[in-house]
Order: sequence, then structure tokens, then C-alpha cells
Amino acid sequence: MTAAVVEHQRAGIRALAGRVGLLGGLTIALVVSLVLAAGHGQLDIPPSEVLGSLLHKIGIDLGPVPQHPQGENTLWQVRFPRVVMAALAGAALATAGALMQGVFGNPLAEPGVVGVSAGAAVAAATAIVFQLTFAGTWTVAVCAFVGGLVTTMLVYYMSRDGGRTEVVTLVLTGIAVNAVASAGLAFLMFLGDTQAREEIVFWQLGSLNGSRWEQVAVVAPMVAVGIGAAVVLAPKLDLLALGDRAARHVGVDVERLRMSVIVVVALLTAAAVAFCGIISFVGLVVPHLIRLLAGPGHRLLVPASALGGAVLLVLADLWARTLIAYADLPIGMLTALVGGPFFFWLIRRARRTAGGWA
Amino acid sequence: MGGGVSRTLLVGVLCGVLSACGLSAGEAPGDGTSEAAASTGKSPALADVTPLTDVRDWEGEVTAHADTPVDPVATDPKPQLPVTVTDAQGTKVTIKDTSRVLALDVYGTLSRTVYELGLGDSLVGRDISTDLPEAADLPLVTQNGHELNAEAILGLDPTVLITDTSLGPWDAVLQVRDAGIPVVVVDSHRGLDNVGELIHGVADALGLPKQGDALAKRTQGEIDDVTAQIADVAPADKGERLRTVFLYVRGQSGVYYMFGEGSGADSLIDAVGGYDVAEEIGWNGMKPLTDEGLIAAQPDLVLMMSGGLESAGGVDGLLERLPALAETPAGQHRRFVTMEDSQILGFGPITASVLEALAVATYAPAALTGGEG
Repeated sequence: MTAAVVEHQRAGIRALAGRVGLLGGLTIALVVSLVLAAGHGQLDIPPSEVLGSLLHKIGIDLGPVPQHPQGENTLWQVRFPRVVMAALAGAALATAGALMQGVFGNPLAEPGVVGVSAGAAVAAATAIVFQLTFAGTWTVAVCAFVGGLVTTMLVYYMSRDGGRTEVVTLVLTGIAVNAVASAGLAFLMFLGDTQAREEIVFWQLGSLNGSRWEQVAVVAPMVAVGIGAAVVLAPKLDLLALGDRAARHVGVDVERLRMSVIVVVALLTAAAVAFCGIISFVGLVVPHLIRLLAGPGHRLLVPASALGGAVLLVLADLWARTLIAYADLPIGMLTALVGGPFFFWLIRRARRTAGGWA
Repeated sequence: MGGGVSRTLLVGVLCGVLSACGLSAGEAPGDGTSEAAASTGKSPALADVTPLTDVRDWEGEVTAHADTPVDPVATDPKPQLPVTVTDAQGTKVTIKDTSRVLALDVYGTLSRTVYELGLGDSLVGRDISTDLPEAADLPLVTQNGHELNAEAILGLDPTVLITDTSLGPWDAVLQVRDAGIPVVVVDSHRGLDNVGELIHGVADALGLPKQGDALAKRTQGEIDDVTAQIADVAPADKGERLRTVFLYVRGQSGVYYMFGEGSGADSLIDAVGGYDVAEEIGWNGMKPLTDEGLIAAQPDLVLMMSGGLESAGGVDGLLERLPALAETPAGQHRRFVTMEDSQILGFGPITASVLEALAVATYAPAALTGGEG
């Protein structure tokens, strides 16, 4: 009897230790990648000077300041906002992916794949082409949110049948939604002037080039609220995994939960899409990697995905902006390059476990 | 073989049509199979060439090349600084130092203007269209054509950035402004109507208003001169002018745009004495054209960027991919006039040379291809 209790407690401690270990490890990885990303760029500033500049900013006169006449400005006006934006967008997309997979009960759900990002992008592009400014710097973000929300609901209702979302239905729904959204973007490009057209192209490929504090100030609260809500909702998603009926029996208001999650997914996707464009597959790759490491429990999956997504995008962006001198590679291209094959592997696996095309 | 025969036949038919319309058929057109002879060296002056009696008497594509060495209005000018200007977007900008200048736009007009103002030595970077020998050693900051990277720009430590909205992302420009670099934005429209305005915009931002006046005056004088000369060789009757379109083609995927009102191409066609088809059909901006729209437009002459024509596989490649073009007089007679991408729509200090070279290519193509005039 006592032995069993002790054993149980031990298991609990082990799980807690694993949890702390994973989140701790990811936090360290995030800090390391942030430092790495902050220390590298097109303008060569030694890491010691980057650190010196940071310390001076917070009032500690330690270490060298950047020697390059524009070094200080470059760090604070160009590089730091961009690195922060990458972390925020990565965290938002990965969390949105984890939530979507939970609420759809489907391993292939992801904002990019099912077209939520594209829907948000169409709405945001509309704001640009028609030069809407009803909410100041928030206009594009608000439009992206509305677009993302409408698309998420559309995808949810269209791909759901008899309380289930089947893989094939979801993927095909995604194809349809993406097709309509890219038609919308093409039409907006036709309507827009040269500048709007350039911005839309920039979006389709996704890029963090041109991230500014002003934009970070819009995205950061959205991501904070979104991830906060996601962490709160996570335990209920575990119950939802038992099936709608079982979840209802233990006191979960299933419909309300689904609606809340959809709103959070739209919020997070909009935060990422509003200024960075369509960066796909982050929401797919990251949660799956986390599941491989830590199992499917959402309590751990959601925060770990947020951290993992931030790490992934900060590093991917570091690569995108330093690979070629004076140029930026579209980051959406890089994530798709890695995410595409991964997606294929997931499809094969989903097919095997479902015993054919479920 | 068959192609040659049918082409000769078409020419015959067309000559017949022209005679029927009361136009002189002129002398026999040149050998239809003659390949384009890329112009080598200097483009002759319009005054020195013999124009065709009938502008429709020509077969084959011509490459115009405006020979435009830098000729500054001042040597080592002393900018009056600091200077405060209100730019095209209404932003008040104060420039204190012009020792490290960046002037970037999609056509290379702005950096060219800086060279002509005599401040070329202060430039620290260039855009892709600035292909002057003087600028060859400057780092290229628009790597894939029109994309800017704020960090790379700041790395050059500019003291002033002059640009327009043709390069992006726009946020990268704002980042440079956030970093405390004075950013002067000029109008992104390029056309004959604002050549002077653009020159003044650049000159004022650099504290060189006098030099700006001189350059604007010189440029306008040259343009007026050339326009008057073109008026002498272009058909006086608007109906007799060559129906001209400006096509923008890139690659071989069949994407082609016709440039209309406000794109600068309208201005160019008018100045070279062509009949602006885009104006006739109320086409504005830069929009993709449909095959049937192109056939309906029936252009006699197609203006293109040489890089664009090359990327489409030359005239043969283009006609093969756009059968619609082959159904127009321009396609049947291979009447394509091309000019370097960086020159043709630039508008600025080199405009007069551009117009002259295009006029020579249009009205006296033999002078460029080495054939008989």
C-alpha cells in the first residue's frame, strides 16, 4: 500500500521533473538562439559589442559599445525588433498549430496548411489595397484577425462531420480554402498599385524584413493574450481528446471550448500573419516534435510548442537574413522547404495508423 | 522557308493596304529574315541620320542604346548645409551632412541625378539599375532587384537616404528613418512631366539648389531640343503615326504587361511621336494584357526592355510564346524597339538621349543595324 503510494509519488515527481526539464531546456535554447540571432547580421558587430550595447541600455556601463557609426542604431532599430518579432511569430504559429490539432483531433491541422493564414492574409491585403486606417497601426492586425477567424470557422464547419474531422476532408478543405484565398490575393494584386502589389508579394512568401518596434507593440500583446489563453485551455483539450461525450461527462462545455480555441487560433495566426506574411509549417513541425519528446498532453505541449516555435523561427530567420549579403531570403520559403517533407511524412503516418484514408 | 514566303506575302498585302490608304509604299522593305543587329557603340544623332520615308517600311528588331556619359553640372560642388526640405510625402527632413549619400530607386534615376549634380563621389551604394562605370565599385544594396534590407543599408553608414516608394519593403525604409538617418522620399512617378521636379527634389535634399536649377534647365532644354527634332521626322498626322505599345515581359511563362497611362511609357510614346494605343483604349497603370486585347490593339511597334526581350528568348521566342503578338503588324514585321532596362523608363538627366536613341531606332533603324537607310 505505502509502496504503491510512494511509487505513485515518484512517478509524479518524474513527470514534473520531465516537464521542468523540457520547458527549462527549451527556455535555455530560446535564450541561446536569441543571443546568437542578436549577435549576427548583415552589419558585422562582434557579440561583445552587442552585449555591451545591451548592458549600456539597461544602465550598466560595461563592455564595449559598437564601433560602427550606425552599429547602435542598427541593433536597436533593425535587428532587435526583428529578432523579437521572429520569436513572437514563431511562438504564435506553433501554439496555434498545437491548439488546432487538439481541437480538430487531427494531426494535420495547421494554420498554413488549412488556409487560416491565407484567409488572414487576404483580409490584411484588403486593408492595404484599400488603404484602410480605421484602427491606426492596428488596422492590418485587426483585419487579419477577422479574416483568420472567419476562415478558421469555415474550415472547422466544412471539415467536420458527425463529430469527427477526417484527415482527407481537412486537407482537401485546406486546398479549397487556400485556392480561394490565393485567388483573392491575386485579385487584390490586380487592383492594387505597385506598392501594394509589392507588399502582397512580400506577404505570400513571408518575411520578417522590416519589422519595427511599432509592429512588435501590436503583435506582442496579441501573442501574450493568445498564449495565456492557450495555456488555460490546454487541460480541457486533454479531456476533449477522450471524445466529445466523455469530455461532456466530466463537465467540459465542448461547444464553448471549441469556439474559444478557434478564437484563440485566429488571434495567434493574425498576430503572426499581420506583419510577417504567410509562414507555413511552423505550426505543424513544432508541436509534432514536442509530442515525440513529451507525449500528447496539452498541459506541456502548449507552452513547449510556444517556446519551440520561437526557437525555430528565430534560427530560421537568422539564416534567411545572413545567407546572402545585402539580401533577405523569404522565410516562408525556408520553413516550407523543411516543413513540406515533414508534412508528407505525417500524411504517410496518419494513413498507416488510420488503416487507409480515413 | 514557308515562314519566309508567308511573311513576304504579308508584307505585300500590307503594302497594298497602305497604298490603298493613300500612303506612299516607299522602297521595298529590307530582308525580312535579317536578324537583329545589336547596336555597338554610340547611337548616332537624330540630325545625322536619314529617316525612312515611311515609318512602316522596316522589318526587324532594333536595339536602341542611349550613350550617356556622366556630365556633371558642377565639379566638387559645396552643398549648403544644414538644409530642411519637405519631401513628396510631406515629411520635414533636415539634412546636415551629404558626405555619404544613398540614392535608390527602381530605375536608377536618383543616383544618376546625384552624379549629374557633381556629388557622385559621395555615393556609398547603388541600386541595380545604376550601371554606370563610375558606380561599378559601389556595393549593390538591392540584391534581387527591388528589395531593401535596412541592416545592410545602415551598414554603409549613410548620412542621407534619397528614395521613392518603388523599392521595398517600405518598413525597411522606415527602419532607416527610425535609426536617425534623414530619409527624403521623392515621387515614384516617372514621366516627362516631372523630370525637373525630381531633379529639384534630389538637389534640394543635398543642399545644391543652384546646381539643381542648372541641371533641370539643361535637361529640359535638351528634351525640348530633341522633341522638336522628333516632331520633324514623326508623321504630322496622328493617324499615320505608328501605333505603339510598351510591353513588359519577363521570362517565358507568358506573363506580359502593357504599360499605360501614368506608367511613364505613355509619356515616352508621345515624346517619340508614336500613337499611344494604351491611351486610345483607356489603359492605365501596369496591367497584364490578354491575347485578344493585344490583337485588338494592333500595334505597329512594340517598345520593350532589352533584358525583358532576352529573357523571353528574343523576338523568335516571344512570337512563339505569344502567338497573339504574331497577329499584329508589329509581330509580322518584327518591329520591336528595345532599350536597356535601366534606361528606357528612367526619366531624368538622361531622358533626352533616351528619346533621341529611341527616335533613331524608330525612324532611321538602318543607322543602327548597318543596313541601308
